[in-house]
Amino acid sequence: MKRLLYLTLVSALALAVVSCGRRGGETIRIGVVGPMTGDGAQYGEMIRMGASMMMDAVNEAGGIDGKMVELVFEDDKGEPKDAALVAQKLASDTTIVAVVGHFNSSCSKAGKPIYKQMKVIQLSPGSTNRDVCIGSDWTFRNVYRDDFQGYAIADYIKEKLGYTRVAVLYDNDDYGRGLKEFFTEKAEQLGLEIVREEAYNRDTQNFGPQLTNIRKEDPEIIFISGLYTQGAMIMTQARNLGMETQFIGGDGLMSADLIKNGGDAVEGAYITCPFIPEMAGEMGRKFVEDFTEKYGEPPDAWAALTFDAVGIIIETIKEVGCDRQAIRDHVASMTTKEKGYDGVSGLTIFDENGDCIKPMFVAIVEGGEFLPAQIQFN
Amino acid sequence: MEGADLFQQLVNGLTLGVVYALIAVGYTMVYGIIELINFAHGEIYMMAAFVACKLYNALGVPFMWAVALAILFAAFLGVVIEFVAYRPLRGSPRLVALISAIGVSLFLQNLAMIIWGARRQPMIETANAIPFLERTVTVSLPLIGEATFSSVQIIMLVTAAAIMIGLTMMIRYTKVGRAMRACAEDRVAAKLMGVSVNRTISATFAIGSAMGGVAGILVGLYYNQVYPMMGYMAGLKAFTAAVIGGIGNVAGAFMGGILLGVVEGLCGAYISSLWMDALAFAILILVLIYRPQGLLGERIPRST
Repeated sequence: MKRLLYLTLVSALALAVVSCGRRGGETIRIGVVGPMTGDGAQYGEMIRMGASMMMDAVNEAGGIDGKMVELVFEDDKGEPKDAALVAQKLASDTTIVAVVGHFNSSCSKAGKPIYKQMKVIQLSPGSTNRDVCIGSDWTFRNVYRDDFQGYAIADYIKEKLGYTRVAVLYDNDDYGRGLKEFFTEKAEQLGLEIVREEAYNRDTQNFGPQLTNIRKEDPEIIFISGLYTQGAMIMTQARNLGMETQFIGGDGLMSADLIKNGGDAVEGAYITCPFIPEMAGEMGRKFVEDFTEKYGEPPDAWAALTFDAVGIIIETIKEVGCDRQAIRDHVASMTTKEKGYDGVSGLTIFDENGDCIKPMFVAIVEGGEFLPAQIQFN
Repeated sequence: MEGADLFQQLVNGLTLGVVYALIAVGYTMVYGIIELINFAHGEIYMMAAFVACKLYNALGVPFMWAVALAILFAAFLGVVIEFVAYRPLRGSPRLVALISAIGVSLFLQNLAMIIWGARRQPMIETANAIPFLERTVTVSLPLIGEATFSSVQIIMLVTAAAIMIGLTMMIRYTKVGRAMRACAEDRVAAKLMGVSVNRTISATFAIGSAMGGVAGILVGLYYNQVYPMMGYMAGLKAFTAAVIGGIGNVAGAFMGGILLGVVEGLCGAYISSLWMDALAFAILILVLIYRPQGLLGERIPRST
């Protein structure tokens, strides 16, 4: 009896190990990982909704060759140490054919060596740190890089807004520090004066000391190189200190919670981002409509980019099947306009690193909404 | 270093300090009476902020009522925690109660995440804004310079001062206060003298927790943000403040809290904001090495 049980268990395990070529009616499993709880939970929620929407669309249309797509969601809490753990979990599960994630640059980097070793593709919908894709053939991303973004923000402040004195507040992690460094590099070239530079940690709540130091220098604009949670607090506390200074930030500030938590204090802030509903093409507008109807709130950039990232994986599986190596090779071959993926966030083409070039937009917070700013990049 | 700036930085540090002080008092009162570090104290602080936030935003309870109910809730929660998690363990080794405290802390954090979600939420939503709380005043003093206060900051400072005075009076002059001091000194003797030890301990938890609740609501208002993990770091810092001041000593806890807040504020301003936490805990280590009884604590040989 015991032996029988043992045999059953072993054969069940053996079956589980055989990947998506399993018997008909089985599902194709794709890992989706991001900060589902913790500080970046709002990003995680958008990632979950964007991914689910693509899955539902594919499954309603009959799946891939009759097989349904199943997303396996994991939570890295936005912390590298948790990211390494869930990366190990996803990568060791051979029924999972590809991973979309992580979101935070530090997390993508923490997962990178694990995905590389276990040979499974990692496609990040939101990690913008320059070095995310370097050093692994298995890591790709569906978003622009911070060197591009940092240069652009400096350029926008100096050339488009015409300011000359800027202060910088940055999150002391891979994303915040990286973006700030590229910004500084370009600012120096352009003759944009950085009057004060202040750092903070992710668990900082009190920005009084930094803001008081910045207030003394009286900058025309303050650049926040960090995430929306701290962004909302910084702007609120600046108003409490009687500061009227203009704010600008990168894609990390792009979240509905920035407005929810920051209220009036975030009005008028500029934010660079890879997707604005109003500026999306035909397909993008349809996506925004469907999404809003389905979830009762409009998608943000991360929902759109995740929707496309899952789309890229699904398109690839349709072409080459469920082999992990084949999936990677196919994504890596998407290097030309013809082979690229045309999604709601525009055309995605990868370069030899696994990076991709995407257009950048500037949003402004007005009346509690992200609207396209008057002046855009050409 | 300009004078004007120093004044503002001191004000910022002081605001932070009174919050640490209010939380630290709860730690220190409980420690004084049952020699337990109540690690769930930071979570009471968080729960009170959430309750006030939800009563006001979601249920439309008038703001002052929401605050009052949240403070009562904090007091009640403190008493319940003591009854459920500490009272059955009284008399067992101290480590056991400490582990129980950590368990309660984790339980409440996760409970809050299940009920309210892990996201940070505004304490006061824009739609329900209270204009008075958004006002700022700039105070200019000759020779010292000027500083901008928000009305929340002023409320924080005034509330803390009032509580500080009220609490000291209560401990010194009321019957409950006397009972607390008696229990802290010698629980057995107090019992022999007719003090109801259980009731006194419950009263201590209620008062300490209410104070933690006040701190939570004030911080929620100050940063306009509440989230389930907010009690964790605040609790650690307040614990540090209580130890610096001399754990078990109420005046010490206030002093420790304010000292810690001001040191952190100045560190953020003139050294680096990345070193604020490191500096706070470095002070804790130094105090533990060179003055383990704390700044205001006395070295008393324990009978038990």
